[in-house]
Amino acid sequence: MKINVNTEIALTYLSARKKQTAIAAAGVMFGISMFIFMQSLMKGTNDYFEKMSFNSTPHIRLYSENKVADTHMLNSYLKDSSVKILTNPKQLIQTLGINNPYGIIKEIIKYPRVANVTPQVTANVIYTSGSVQIDGNVAGVNIDQEDKMFDVQSNMIAGDLHDLNRVNNGLLIGKGVADKLSLHVGDNITVTSGTGSPTIMRVIGIFATTIKQIDETKSYANIVQAQNLLGKDRSYVTDIKINIDDYNNAPAVARDLETITGYKAEDWVQANEQLKAAFKIRAVILNSVIGVLLLVAGFGIYNILNMTIYEKIKEIAILKAQGFSGPAVTSIFLQQAIYIGVLGGIIGVIVGFLITLMVSRIYIGAGSLKYLPMSFYTPHYVEAIIFGILTTVAAGFFPARKASKVDPVTIIRG
Amino acid sequence: MESIALKATGINKYFHDPVTIPVLKNITLDVRKGEFVSIVGKSGCGKSTLLYVLSTMDTDYEGTLDINGVQATGKSLNALARIRNESIGFVFQFHYLLPDFTCLKNVMIPGLRLGKYSYKEVEARAYEKLKMFGVEDQALKRADKLSGGQQQRVAIARALINEPAIIMGDEPTGNLDSKNTGIVFDLFQKLAKDFGQTIITVTHDEDFARRSDRIIEMADGEIKSHGK
Repeated sequence: MKINVNTEIALTYLSARKKQTAIAAAGVMFGISMFIFMQSLMKGTNDYFEKMSFNSTPHIRLYSENKVADTHMLNSYLKDSSVKILTNPKQLIQTLGINNPYGIIKEIIKYPRVANVTPQVTANVIYTSGSVQIDGNVAGVNIDQEDKMFDVQSNMIAGDLHDLNRVNNGLLIGKGVADKLSLHVGDNITVTSGTGSPTIMRVIGIFATTIKQIDETKSYANIVQAQNLLGKDRSYVTDIKINIDDYNNAPAVARDLETITGYKAEDWVQANEQLKAAFKIRAVILNSVIGVLLLVAGFGIYNILNMTIYEKIKEIAILKAQGFSGPAVTSIFLQQAIYIGVLGGIIGVIVGFLITLMVSRIYIGAGSLKYLPMSFYTPHYVEAIIFGILTTVAAGFFPARKASKVDPVTIIRG
Repeated sequence: MESIALKATGINKYFHDPVTIPVLKNITLDVRKGEFVSIVGKSGCGKSTLLYVLSTMDTDYEGTLDINGVQATGKSLNALARIRNESIGFVFQFHYLLPDFTCLKNVMIPGLRLGKYSYKEVEARAYEKLKMFGVEDQALKRADKLSGGQQQRVAIARALINEPAIIMGDEPTGNLDSKNTGIVFDLFQKLAKDFGQTIITVTHDEDFARRSDRIIEMADGEIKSHGK
């Protein structure tokens, strides 16, 4: 048995006061388990919302933006010998979409971090069924690629999305559109765009995201079908949607792609500013709650050690009389704090995991969200242990230092 | 040449609260190795205060203190703690055992602190000391479960664990009946005679004092008689 005498004394003190030790450890346990639970809930929720937003938004969307008229035409004609002034510049309409889209897609695929690229033709349309008309938009897509990137399949509530490749004039409509127009799979629907002629299409499937706005307006068609709707040729593409290996790199990649292609590349961060804001607000709320929890746990340890020192002041004096130095006494009491922290930490990690597991089984059933989204992310557990130990050391330090400063003469002489 | 275990030169000490009053006045004192010295005097004469100065626990004094030929005055608190651990054993009027520990552990703790011997050796030595005082059968009981006399004997055993050069007692028999006092006195005498350990005790017990090698009488913070 090779155990330091300070450690032995610390452990004896702790085991002699099992109840107090247990209460202090329970405080740490609560702090740590809540830390883990809340971190898991926040990360789970954030991941969920991120995933949700990627169900409708690509990491990067490349499109042709209307530009304000500038002087570059004049520049190439007049060279630099004159000052060019453009009065009252107007927006130039870019009705042609993206020029040479398939050439651009080939270029984009070459870019190392790009995982998936798919073209899209977006058409604003009016859906008509019987005498009812509603506004919406048709996304002309390659459904297989679309499904790979946005997991369309998971939103399907009726029909088969692959029919889009097989059925001529097939249309995959949102649940809201279906409800408003009382449509079922196999029914016909008239779709009219601003530039093409009205087309009768067949409903081959119905999807439901949790986002009402999308369900009430959006539909998917084959890309060729969408080009027909708009009365455009096969090279007409309005958007190129790009997914990359790590969506956190989207802003940087988007800048590069803008330079490469010359078109506007919008990353998901720009498209979802409110999501980022929500993440930040949640992080602030969560961190303050965790801070308070750890602070309370820390005060628990501080109090109990302070009381122990008050009770044991004579014993401390006698230890010092027998040749225990200040640092040795500090070590005895700091060790007690650390053991309380480690004990509470270990139980806290286990309890935190169990709470997280339990909560992840709670049925929510809102839209596509069936269970509370919880993440089981190992760094949370490591962080929790680190924070727990830091708190206990900080809480133990002041009582321990007080103990080390006990003057044996004053105490022993009374 | 006689070797000096403890030498105090010109010790002055004041209490500052509520007003500054001198408690020790220019005390100079030599104690030889193996000497059994009693310090006597009326309550409040400063004899306990002197003992705590000599013990190195009280550092708020003027003058110099040498222990085993090494100057203790001016040393850091940690260095003094080391000196106490190694060279000074304490016996107080009250036993001051640590109630959460067994008697054996109480005796072992200063030995473990010193770290000179292995755990097993310290344990064996602690048993030996307890045996000297006839309390070895109590070794594994918690210290607070013993009778007063037994506790004091364990406390003395604890003071001896590191075989200190000097044993200091502040009324070591103050709480003991005459039988236990006799046992303690005989042991102190044996330690001084046979093992050359120096004993300095503060006592009210005249009988105890009379039987020691030398009586130092104090009054009003001064030494009245060195008893040589």
